Amino acid sequence: MIQYIVRRLIFSIPVVIGVTLITFVLLNVVPGDPVLEMVGKHADPQTINQIREQLGLNDPLVIQYLRFVFNAARGDLGKSFKTGIPVSKMIGDTFPTTLKLALSAYLVAIILGVSVGIISAVKQYSLFDHSMMIVALAGISAPVFWVAVIAQLIFGLKLGWFPISGYYSVKHMILPAIVLGTRFAASIARYTRSALLDVIRQDYIRTARAKGLSERAVIFIHALKNAMIPVVTILGMQLSGLLTGSILTESVFAIPGLGRLSLWALSERDYPLVQGVVLFTAVIYILGNLIVDISYAFLNPRIRLK
Amino acid sequence: MRKFLLVLALIVVTVFIFAQAPKRGGVLYDYWTSDRMIFDPQEDTYLQTYGMARLLFSTLVRYKGETLELEPELLVKMPEISQDGLVYTFELKKGIKFHDGKTELTSDDVKFTIERMLSPKGRGASKWLFEPILGATAFKNGESTSLEGFKKIDDYKFQIILEKPYAPFLQNLAVPAASIFSEKLVKAAGESWRLKPVGTGPFRLKTHTPNTEIVFERNPYYFEPGLPYLDSIVYRIVPDSTVALMEFEAGTLDVVTIPVLEYERIKKSGKYNIIEKEALNTYFFIMNLKDPKWSNPLLRKAMALAINKQEMAQSLFGPRAVVAKSFVTPGIPGAYPLGEGPAYDYNPEEARKIVAQLGNIGKVTAWQSGGDTLSQANIIIQAMAKEVGIDLEIVPIERAAFRQARNEGKIPAGYGNWWADIPDPDNYIEVFFGRDNQMSSGYNNEEVQEMIEKASIEVDPQKREEMYRQIEYKILREDVAIIPLFHLKYLLATQKNVHGVIAHPTGITLYLYAYKQ
Repeated sequence: MIQYIVRRLIFSIPVVIGVTLITFVLLNVVPGDPVLEMVGKHADPQTINQIREQLGLNDPLVIQYLRFVFNAARGDLGKSFKTGIPVSKMIGDTFPTTLKLALSAYLVAIILGVSVGIISAVKQYSLFDHSMMIVALAGISAPVFWVAVIAQLIFGLKLGWFPISGYYSVKHMILPAIVLGTRFAASIARYTRSALLDVIRQDYIRTARAKGLSERAVIFIHALKNAMIPVVTILGMQLSGLLTGSILTESVFAIPGLGRLSLWALSERDYPLVQGVVLFTAVIYILGNLIVDISYAFLNPRIRLK
Repeated sequence: MRKFLLVLALIVVTVFIFAQAPKRGGVLYDYWTSDRMIFDPQEDTYLQTYGMARLLFSTLVRYKGETLELEPELLVKMPEISQDGLVYTFELKKGIKFHDGKTELTSDDVKFTIERMLSPKGRGASKWLFEPILGATAFKNGESTSLEGFKKIDDYKFQIILEKPYAPFLQNLAVPAASIFSEKLVKAAGESWRLKPVGTGPFRLKTHTPNTEIVFERNPYYFEPGLPYLDSIVYRIVPDSTVALMEFEAGTLDVVTIPVLEYERIKKSGKYNIIEKEALNTYFFIMNLKDPKWSNPLLRKAMALAINKQEMAQSLFGPRAVVAKSFVTPGIPGAYPLGEGPAYDYNPEEARKIVAQLGNIGKVTAWQSGGDTLSQANIIIQAMAKEVGIDLEIVPIERAAFRQARNEGKIPAGYGNWWADIPDPDNYIEVFFGRDNQMSSGYNNEEVQEMIEKASIEVDPQKREEMYRQIEYKILREDVAIIPLFHLKYLLATQKNVHGVIAHPTGITLYLYAYKQ
């Protein structure tokens, strides 16, 4: 297993380099001057050129890219053009907030999604099943910012149960976690339902039932474990997505996470910060996928043997 | 009985006076939609940074209350100006301390501030403010190490000598980017200055939690006795304006910019103080005279006649917008009065005739700054152009790319707005139509550009005002280089217990006299 993990990590190095290269090329191909974004409407060409020189933007692109790669390899992601603060510090300061939001939303999504999915599968074509699947469809389709604003209006402004926005205490995290989590719960519920429906039609489930096992034991001991394999894939991908910034949720709820930071970095054309955030995001995705693959092996010994 | 009534009247008057008197203390909650992250107004020219600069720093002169009249801020009195308009003599108030409570403001700090902005090695983004000073160009180019036009008389007195007369120079000194820094403290802070500013302003920076909030606390060493009234001001970062309004209605924000669609509801509720104030701005449609198609004056005139400004202003901004007849905002010396001006009125019949005269000109192009789809304003402009037979294609271009193209003069035409830095026509006319302008106007009328240069150095105020009106007539009526559409007012709401907030026409909300009852 360790050998497998090491191999996967080595294979991911070209992926990371590829991601940084694509980001670098895109940033330089897309029009927009970071210095103009910094100094605004009145700066004279001389000042603009002087700042470009200071920031190393007048160097050939190859030199700029190699400088970034070599520094990044040593753990130095550079300094933000705008603030002068090390990029790693800016990411480090915002990531814990995103992590808290992501994990809270994840918890909501798993509890809600898996339980609704199981009940819907067990009680297929019942009123609960139909209504939950309609709700799930609506949950997937509704734009997150719309759901967020409606939730803020009802639970924040009208009922006053939760703060409307901001990030000051645990209470501030509840509403965004529910809004974000419910959205992911919708797709988890649909995946759990269909996966479980596939499994409960298998012969070994029929055998289990024929042996006289209770329905609860059949579902939770025999069916659920196998049904969870496709669900785990979705869960892994969603966790990576949640961790790398839920830009809209963070913006509407004014949460200072990685999503807001990346949006800010892009709008300011803060190249080192954009590159740092993208690199960090890529690493999170790679690790997320690796964890998913490892968890397959635990869920299904046949995968482990292969 | 008479005595009793007299006493009663006295009590009532006393209670009334005390009820109106500003109360000291309290925390005011305002918001920004984004975090600029830095606080150096020499480096960052966004209105938000300027707003914070008015809390943290002071300028030599400032605007009196909500007017456009200047008054001394760090100075004992307004500077004396020589007859030829070249030499300005200043005297600083004695004993002004920076936020550390130890460092005293002197003439050297003023010199340092100006030189820091002009420094060829610095990030000074508003060099234009000090460019009229003698020797500024040489200093800026690194050809001299000391600014020739700054003469220190003693620690509190100094002179600034201009290269040539420049009437709006004092206005330049009131721009927040001209805030005075401490040489000692800036040098000691080094790179971190932009994050940890120290000034002489009424508030000092207490904490900054990026993308969350910025907290300012009262400066105990502030040089104006008794001011400010508030203990602190908290700027929360609320990216969404709908959410900000919800926070305001929930009572967690004290001030909010009212979204246009909510204006009537908020006003009618009677629960809040409403501040409506004219601001120094003009929304316009500009056409690049160097564009192959827009270079045709007939096409530009047809476009000017095609836009129904009244309808456009009403549908976009309702009560917030006032139709523009001139480019320079009314109220500024040298501007046309409101409702008068040289811009063409809506006349679709005339526009159609001109378009027929033009023949088949095909598609003409304009750009939009940002957005994936066309803004409502551009949809309206496009539809109005179509009404008279102009096939106008409007292309959305990413914001940063748009800015770069504008600087390079590559934008064919576009809807935009200008919020002036200073209440002077030069800040509109020269910026958009002067030689080497960076606004993609492509303006090339040599005669008018010469007039612009002459007007900027004219010292007789009346003559100067008349010159700008003539210039504007030529640009708007004869050359039709720009179509002014409307001016926007501020629409702010504050909680009922918040008083003394000044919405200044320059776009900055001032809290020096604000208090919570």
